[in-house]
Amino acid sequence: MEQTNWKRRLLIALTTSVFIGGTAQLAQASEVTLLNVSYDPTRELYTDFNKAFAEYWKKKTGDTVKINQSHNGSGRQARAVIDGLAADVVTLALAADVDAIANNGKLLPVNWEERLPDHSAPYTSTIVFLVRKGNPKHIKDWGDLIKPGVGVITPNPKTSGGARWNYLAAWAWAKKQPGGSDATAREFITKLYKNVPVLDTGARGSTTTFAQRGIGDVAISWENEAWLATKELGPDKFEIVIPSVSILAEPSVAVVDKVVLRRGTRTVAEEYLKYLYTPEGQEIAARNYYRPRNPQVAAKHAELFPKLELVTIKDFGGWSKAQKEHFGDGGVFDQIQAQ
Amino acid sequence: MTIRRAAAGASIAALLPFAGTALAQTAPQQTTQAPAENADSDLRHEIEEQKQRLAILERKLEIQQEAATAAAATAPRITINASRFQIGSTDNANFIRFRGTLFADNRAYGGNSAPETADTFLLRSVRPTFEGTFGGIYDFRFTPDFGSGRSIIVDAYAAARFNPGAVVTVGKFKPSVGLERLASEPDLRFMERGLPTLLVPNRDLGVQLSGDFAGGAFSYQVGYFNGVTDGQSSDNLASPDVESDTGGDYAARVFIQPFINSDNFNLRGLGFGVGSTWQDLDGAAANPYLPSYRSQGQLNVFSYRANTATGTTPNNATFSNGERLRLAPQLYYYRGSFGFLGEYTQVKQDVSRTVAGVTLSDTLTNSAWQGQFSWFLTGEEESFRGFTPGSTWQPGKPGTGAWELVARIQELDVDDAAFAGGANSFANPLTAISKESAYGVGVNWYPWNTVKLSFNYDVTSFEGGAATGDRPDEQAYFTRFAINY
Repeated sequence: MEQTNWKRRLLIALTTSVFIGGTAQLAQASEVTLLNVSYDPTRELYTDFNKAFAEYWKKKTGDTVKINQSHNGSGRQARAVIDGLAADVVTLALAADVDAIANNGKLLPVNWEERLPDHSAPYTSTIVFLVRKGNPKHIKDWGDLIKPGVGVITPNPKTSGGARWNYLAAWAWAKKQPGGSDATAREFITKLYKNVPVLDTGARGSTTTFAQRGIGDVAISWENEAWLATKELGPDKFEIVIPSVSILAEPSVAVVDKVVLRRGTRTVAEEYLKYLYTPEGQEIAARNYYRPRNPQVAAKHAELFPKLELVTIKDFGGWSKAQKEHFGDGGVFDQIQAQ
Repeated sequence: MTIRRAAAGASIAALLPFAGTALAQTAPQQTTQAPAENADSDLRHEIEEQKQRLAILERKLEIQQEAATAAAATAPRITINASRFQIGSTDNANFIRFRGTLFADNRAYGGNSAPETADTFLLRSVRPTFEGTFGGIYDFRFTPDFGSGRSIIVDAYAAARFNPGAVVTVGKFKPSVGLERLASEPDLRFMERGLPTLLVPNRDLGVQLSGDFAGGAFSYQVGYFNGVTDGQSSDNLASPDVESDTGGDYAARVFIQPFINSDNFNLRGLGFGVGSTWQDLDGAAANPYLPSYRSQGQLNVFSYRANTATGTTPNNATFSNGERLRLAPQLYYYRGSFGFLGEYTQVKQDVSRTVAGVTLSDTLTNSAWQGQFSWFLTGEEESFRGFTPGSTWQPGKPGTGAWELVARIQELDVDDAAFAGGANSFANPLTAISKESAYGVGVNWYPWNTVKLSFNYDVTSFEGGAATGDRPDEQAYFTRFAINY
């Protein structure tokens, strides 16, 4: 009997040791790491935001949080997360890519949009044109992009979220023209992509193609990316042209439930995304040329964000429909490319 | 910075080129130069177009290369080379690996040291190994052995590496006690482990917490196992790989390499420590839970008395009856091409034997030690765990492979009290030796990093173990062709 007691005691001790070993990292909660898998042009935004959140979190909890960033085309990033990239949070270019993670990867619930305000899109942007200084090809609106001899730079909608916003904005403009219909919009889009010499995988790649490699006459670009290009590469080199019609681009954010559950990072991951909605988070977004949701912050930076007619994804029947119809396998974009 | 809104200022901007053209057309003094200027303009335009085409081609190539690099970074990595077959993720956090060992031996004995039937070819070890890691934390290994005409599970365990200081291992594996026992088979310098290893557990089922600190300068292991007799594995039990006695074996070991992270070349390879086990073991004459010991030539040379009673006479075999404490101080030292491994192992075992209704009990202390020397003639660096030959040997090509000389002296001493009492003794001095002393030399040739050819010559002298005098000296000539993949 005494032997059995000894055995039990030892097993309890070992089990406790295992528990202690297993929770050692939790006990050292002073250090936690998050991975934010994001899309191409948000590098600068999240570099600033992560620093601010780390300071906020340290002040609030005393814990140190280190946020690693991963950037690429939004569609490609979604695929990587589905394939196993352990993202605690995703901050992607559009809801369709987060939907793909929910539907195909089963890594978060399908109602993820309802978990944060503004259907989990804490900031917005739109699509504008970036042209060379002096606008030598006289690009003023979407119709100018299909003129002969105009080189248009836009990424591949199959891999880039921004490219899908570009495509839909162009489609919306075409439909709004006199006599516009799906057929005329398709004809317009077909002509537009005939003027595209290079299809980059992401928005940052397109900026590189246009701004640094000197290819093309106009880049269809995220508003924030266009601002950044002019700021970083020289206002004497580029101009931003605001088209008559564009689209309200709503980048989406979400906690990846299965990953945070496994890593024990749910609380900090949720707080990380919620911090995007705070005045501090909104200010950082605005400073990085994303349109803030917060009215006060938006008013403060109004000069950066001119008003223009914006369609929304609802005008296309939502992302689920638009994705399938335009960008899915065999969709309109594939048909155009095959021509 | 300029922001243009759609249609704003378009008219003026649009007129400017045409205005320029109109001016050119109406200026008489420029008329004669117009064809030349037009030609220059066309040429400039052509050059600009060509530059654009070139830039587009270069960019497309760049994108292709980026895509290829990105694909390579996320694609599963398959490694197949002379020493590894592995499939895993790029970051190596998840992989499965196939390894294996095959030892084909020949054993021959000189003089009258062993019966002629002892000379033999044998497959000493045929062990495929599947192992892997998940999430960079969770490891597993499964190693069966089909050598020596048996099919057993040698290793089957899972481990969780929470951090370097806390690794939990559960399953069947080597309890951390004896130093040479902890060396993997391919890393052994002699074909067979030395006499101290006869006194420590081989493989057992249990759980172990282990870890390293200060970059490996200090390591520890504590564990709880089913318990096995000296030198044995749990697969040798009457009911293989299950608990078959009344108590478990507690094992612990600490090992210190104080200079492992030092720049001091002379001391960096020094390591020392001590391992220990303790078990309260109530055997019985029918299940004695006591070991046998072998010579360096792998012949049985010592056993406790087995049952000789017949009929209704009670079983009179010697059996374990109380505590068993093992203590194993150990040391190694590696410097350049030279290596030394030394260990001493002592086991204190409470035993009993019932003869004619009287139960005799005692605590026996058996011990063994060895000093093992190794030296790479070809200059490779000796170490406890593995090495890479400086060259390989292939017919008709330069390179000799690695050549290594090894030497060892060792001794195993059985407590004299085991033989006291004449017919009532715990061991029979006429069949069981009380001491064996051995020296051995050998040469290892590594023509390839996965291939090893070994020759060992061991001479063992005995005390006791024969009807008259001592058991004859044993001369063992062992050769091995080994593949360690």
